[in-house]
Amino acid sequence: MNRKTAFIAALFGVLAFAAPAQAARVEVQWWHAMSGVLGDRLNELVEKFNASQDKYTVVAVAKGNYDEVTNGVIAAYRAKRPPEMVQIAERGYMTMLLSGAIVPVQELMDQKGYKIDWPDFIKPVASFWSYKGRMSAMPFNSSTPIFWYNKEHFRKAGFDKPADTWQELEAQLYAIKAKGVSECGSVLPGDFYWSLLENYSAINNQPYGTLANGFDGLGTEFVYNKTKVVSQVARLKKWLDDGVLQIAGQGFSPEQLFTSGRCSTFVNSTASHGNIERNAKIEWGATFLPHENDINPPLNSTIGGGAIWVLKGHTPERYDAVAAFLDFVAQPETQVWWHGVTGYVPATNKAYGLARERGYYKDHPTREIAVLQLSRGTPNENSRGFRFGNFVQTMLAQRTEVEAVFTGQKQPQQAMDDAVKRGNEILRQFEKLNAGKDTEADGKPK
Amino acid sequence: MNAGSPIVLSEASAAQVAQPSGLTRTQHAPSGGTVIGRSSTESRPGKARTLKRDRPDREPGLKRANFGHGPGLPTLLLLPQFLILVFFFFIPSLRALMQSVLLSDPFGNNVQFVWFDNFKALFANGEYRQSIITTLWFTVAQNVITLAVGVVLAFATDRVVRGRSVYRTVILLPYAIAPAIAGILWAFLFNPVVGPLAHMLHALGIGWDPNRNPSDALWLVIMAASWKHICYNYIFLAVGLLAVPASLMEAAAVDGAGPIRRFFLIALPMLGPTVFFLAVMNFIYGFFETFAIIDAVTHGGPAGATNILVYKVYVDGFVNLDLGSSAAQSVLLMSFALICTLLQFRYFDHKVNYGV
Repeated sequence: MNRKTAFIAALFGVLAFAAPAQAARVEVQWWHAMSGVLGDRLNELVEKFNASQDKYTVVAVAKGNYDEVTNGVIAAYRAKRPPEMVQIAERGYMTMLLSGAIVPVQELMDQKGYKIDWPDFIKPVASFWSYKGRMSAMPFNSSTPIFWYNKEHFRKAGFDKPADTWQELEAQLYAIKAKGVSECGSVLPGDFYWSLLENYSAINNQPYGTLANGFDGLGTEFVYNKTKVVSQVARLKKWLDDGVLQIAGQGFSPEQLFTSGRCSTFVNSTASHGNIERNAKIEWGATFLPHENDINPPLNSTIGGGAIWVLKGHTPERYDAVAAFLDFVAQPETQVWWHGVTGYVPATNKAYGLARERGYYKDHPTREIAVLQLSRGTPNENSRGFRFGNFVQTMLAQRTEVEAVFTGQKQPQQAMDDAVKRGNEILRQFEKLNAGKDTEADGKPK
Repeated sequence: MNAGSPIVLSEASAAQVAQPSGLTRTQHAPSGGTVIGRSSTESRPGKARTLKRDRPDREPGLKRANFGHGPGLPTLLLLPQFLILVFFFFIPSLRALMQSVLLSDPFGNNVQFVWFDNFKALFANGEYRQSIITTLWFTVAQNVITLAVGVVLAFATDRVVRGRSVYRTVILLPYAIAPAIAGILWAFLFNPVVGPLAHMLHALGIGWDPNRNPSDALWLVIMAASWKHICYNYIFLAVGLLAVPASLMEAAAVDGAGPIRRFFLIALPMLGPTVFFLAVMNFIYGFFETFAIIDAVTHGGPAGATNILVYKVYVDGFVNLDLGSSAAQSVLLMSFALICTLLQFRYFDHKVNYGV
């Protein structure tokens, strides 16, 4: 009897001793959309953080693609059980910013006493993710489209490398096809609206919407039906008709058509470095996106990818953990590592300098293209980025209209007029919903 | 849409249709007498029909007999189905109805009541009207193909002597494949760049390209959706054909009717109730359950050519996060399905011979 009591007491003692030790690690969740190689790297990153200290544990949860993550976090928020952190794609910026469900990252870091060198973030990255000059989300996986090409195809057709302008590039692609080097000059990327329309617009200094592409207020309206975007759509249609450009279609990824050596060129995110290095059986190269011959010098491209948002409604201890993790993410060492293993751009100049110093780009010259393309020149109103509400919806409407050009149902001008009209209706809906919410431009006095 | 809805739809419509259907019956007159005259054993295959036509007081014994006293047992037996309906149909439907008159941000922190603006916007929207037409084409074509092929395969079952079970298994296999997988399979086979079947079409001189030709894309999803649903039709039709008395067929054969004549004059009329049931089910399938196939094969493209209503509900709700419009669309879609089912019962039900 006595022994038994003693045993139970001892057991409780052990439990009492063990419990605080366990509770000492505060656990926070991070929902993300990275899969494949990128997902593995993300898990490595989280493990590194967890091993680097003994107070906090970040649990990374893959929730599917960006759309699925967004829906997951919305459902969780409505059920009052949101994760602490979530990775959201660039297009969801306005939705997240005005949702009333987030804690701005810079505010959190200030409050928790972390000194992050915010001005050191690369300009298009910083301007995209900040609001009134203060960062709303932690830049995580930033990318930009670059131009991939098959070196062998270009050599066989008698070219050193792809031309800098669309006009000369067109001549090259037609020559490649005419000489029978390859059946398919280029493959249409799945997110062509991002690389071939939005980034095209920025690089060629064309306005996409009024009010500085939406940076100066919710009253913005699309104007790309009056710019070079129309002739760009016409160009793509011409290439398709002539068999120079191919659509991969469903059931098959465009990237495979490039890496298998079927198509000679491919415009895609710099983040596909990991995949292309692993899958390509060809001798590939990469370079800057082309620009129009009457635009010189071309401007910077804009970013895509995702950032880490912090959600409202958690205890201070958990925010301690979140802040510690975000600080870890922002460290130059972490940035350099992530840049190296994935192909995403380093978010800060310090990290970029570090990678240069170490001679990283001597072995990996194509990894530098995205950084150089993003940071060339001084970003202006046309190239700073895009700040449209319901940006996914306007993009899908636009994509449908562009497809109507590809199918031959509409002329490019007609299609872009319709896309702008539909897009503006969607923007007005967003403006109506968020009426009264202040969205003056970054840092500008109202 | 959740899986419960088709069941509910058919039940609800069956119940609601009872009254008008009875009226039609009396207007079209003559059969009233036959029904009353029928013995209960005779009318068993068409039980639903009997319940509809007969006044409740005609069969007092059946109604009360077996449940003992009090509401306890019936309530208990109904409870599971009722709970499923409440949680997976009534509550979501109610939420959808409420959401359809709201303009709200996805997180629900900013909600405005907008009356019927979401509905008005839909009807003013050319894309939505186009989606209705596409859906009609899609469901009707899918329905006709599925039934026609299903009937032929079922009728052929009798002719297959060797390896009949293999024959049946092969036909039933697609039912075991998840719609998304089936969709990817079709998308790949008919991919104009790499698909083997697409290459065959090209070799035949057909410029097949579902990426740039809207009608190719629509045909592709119709074929994929039909292929997936033929097996369901086949099961019912094969069983239905078993119920056709062999003596009748033999008598016809003796009288010199060939297989095709026997099929059209004897088998098909006797399959009436099954075909009618399947037509209703195929419509519901086309309206609600083809989402995964569209998503895998075309993403609703090109240029919205395969953007059927249920896919549009998904895209507007889950990709575009336009919850108000998505809810309004799902309310409308439900009403369309209900109207379609009601019309089918109204116009075709009394032409179907349940007596055999």
